[in-house]
Amino acid sequence: MDFLLQGLLTAIELLRTVDAETFSAVYATLLVSSQSLVVTLALGLPLGFCLGYFDFRTKRQIRVVVDTLLSLPTVFIGLLVYAFFTNRGPLGNLGLLFTLPGIAVGLTILALPVVVALSATAVEGMDRQLRVTLVSLGANRRQLFLSTLWEARHGVIAAVLTAYGRVMTEVGIAMMVGGNIKWQTRTITTAIALETNKGEFAMGIALGLVLLLIAFGVNLSVSFLRKRY
Amino acid sequence: MNAPLYDFYDIRHVYRGQTVLSIDRLELPRGGIVGVIGPNGSGKSTLLRLAGFVESPTSGEVRFDGRPAGPFAPEVRNRVALLPQEPFLMKRTVLNNVAYGMQIRKVRANLSERVAKALSYVGLDGREFAHRPAYALSGGEAQRVALAARLILKPDVLLLDEPTSSIDALSAQLIKDAVLKARSEWGTTLVIASHDWQWLYGICDTVFHLLKGRVLGTGRENVLFGPWEAMEAGRWGRRLTDGQVLLVPQPPEPSAAAVIEHAAIVQPYGSGGDGAEQVTLSGLITRLALEKASGAIVASVLIANLPFTAALTEAQVRENGLYPGRTVALCYNLDSVKWV
Repeated sequence: MDFLLQGLLTAIELLRTVDAETFSAVYATLLVSSQSLVVTLALGLPLGFCLGYFDFRTKRQIRVVVDTLLSLPTVFIGLLVYAFFTNRGPLGNLGLLFTLPGIAVGLTILALPVVVALSATAVEGMDRQLRVTLVSLGANRRQLFLSTLWEARHGVIAAVLTAYGRVMTEVGIAMMVGGNIKWQTRTITTAIALETNKGEFAMGIALGLVLLLIAFGVNLSVSFLRKRY
Repeated sequence: MNAPLYDFYDIRHVYRGQTVLSIDRLELPRGGIVGVIGPNGSGKSTLLRLAGFVESPTSGEVRFDGRPAGPFAPEVRNRVALLPQEPFLMKRTVLNNVAYGMQIRKVRANLSERVAKALSYVGLDGREFAHRPAYALSGGEAQRVALAARLILKPDVLLLDEPTSSIDALSAQLIKDAVLKARSEWGTTLVIASHDWQWLYGICDTVFHLLKGRVLGTGRENVLFGPWEAMEAGRWGRRLTDGQVLLVPQPPEPSAAAVIEHAAIVQPYGSGGDGAEQVTLSGLITRLALEKASGAIVASVLIANLPFTAALTEAQVRENGLYPGRTVALCYNLDSVKWV
């Protein structure tokens, strides 16, 4: 057990001294997860709203597909993105392989079904009278969309947090698409995997602590916002 | 003559394969108070949702101010407000619920004062209620807050779907007062669906009856439901709980609904008699109400457990000494029974 304690002490030291290598991985993680989350929300919230709000003929079938995509293995996404971005792939000319934007694309594919499915569930669970009320008070289509999302905000926030948790802690896509290049595409999770393989527990534990701190900070902020609104 | 405000033209509305509203032509006047009566499931709420442009009819056209209109149309969006039967308040404070309509219209000036005034219309103190969360309100308070959210908009048309059902008497009275205030202060056209026909007859310029999605007439019709059974001498009817028989012509099907267009209280019970084509039933006057538009007195007569209405003149009421609680004979011609 000593090595764990030693690892914890070293981790605190690495964080206290703002170790460049540690913070490079933290920066890469925050960057790709934030980029992917922005794109995911821009696409996923309208799609989730439509799926939860409207009744149409193929709704149930689409729902099954989206729910199935929730369990997409991350290494499979990594494989597909790799295949598309490699020089021989259809998107090879974009030069996204082994780059942070490349990882962000993979993470977006991972997070999109989470946001679509959970926000659709949140919107679907809203009282049907909400639409009548909003329209009868004069809301236009955009206001109807935004106000419905606002009313479903607790469910939507849960969707966003779940998606953020998935992209932050993902390792397969980051490893395959990013290549775990030191100072370039090394994220917290790929660094932990590498350092553990090397037997360098201190670095791994330090990075793990950072992940926990980020998760704690995000949840604390959300809890504060929930209480306020 | 003023052009009608609403013109429902060849409307068919279908829910899950079932036609719930079928109106060939219906005009609603501008600036008046229109009452809609009818049993549950008759299409009242659907009609109001179409009039409120919350949804579009499956086929047909709703014209507003002479032009076809539908949901989100700019020419109706800020002029028509609907208060649904079950008031829905958003997960916000009372202030934010009442102010919502103003906020989406980008009205920011004196919002708190406007909200307080709208709340005062429905008998709520803004200082006490404005910052309460919606979930902390009683049913009657929630209904009044929902109405205040419409009144703050000073709409040209206010559509009220059973505004006083399932709330306490005080809240109901405050709502009645508030909608009439809107009518008198802003000239708001009111369309009210309610089971409280006494109130409707008292305030409405026009009342019409909906049954099975169709407009029947002025609202004074008696709507009777089966099941009808074959009686002696080839007649059909329904045996009431007190042993009397409600006779009707042969129905198209045993479960058909019948409408008696002209039922009359012939005189206090004891002097009435059966004619060849007439049916006379004994009942109890439960209410007398003045019909604002015609000046007639509308009597509600309970026969067994069925409510009937009949129109009377003031002289008939006086000369026959009619009053609630008096037993009378109610008479109708078999020929006046129509099937719907």
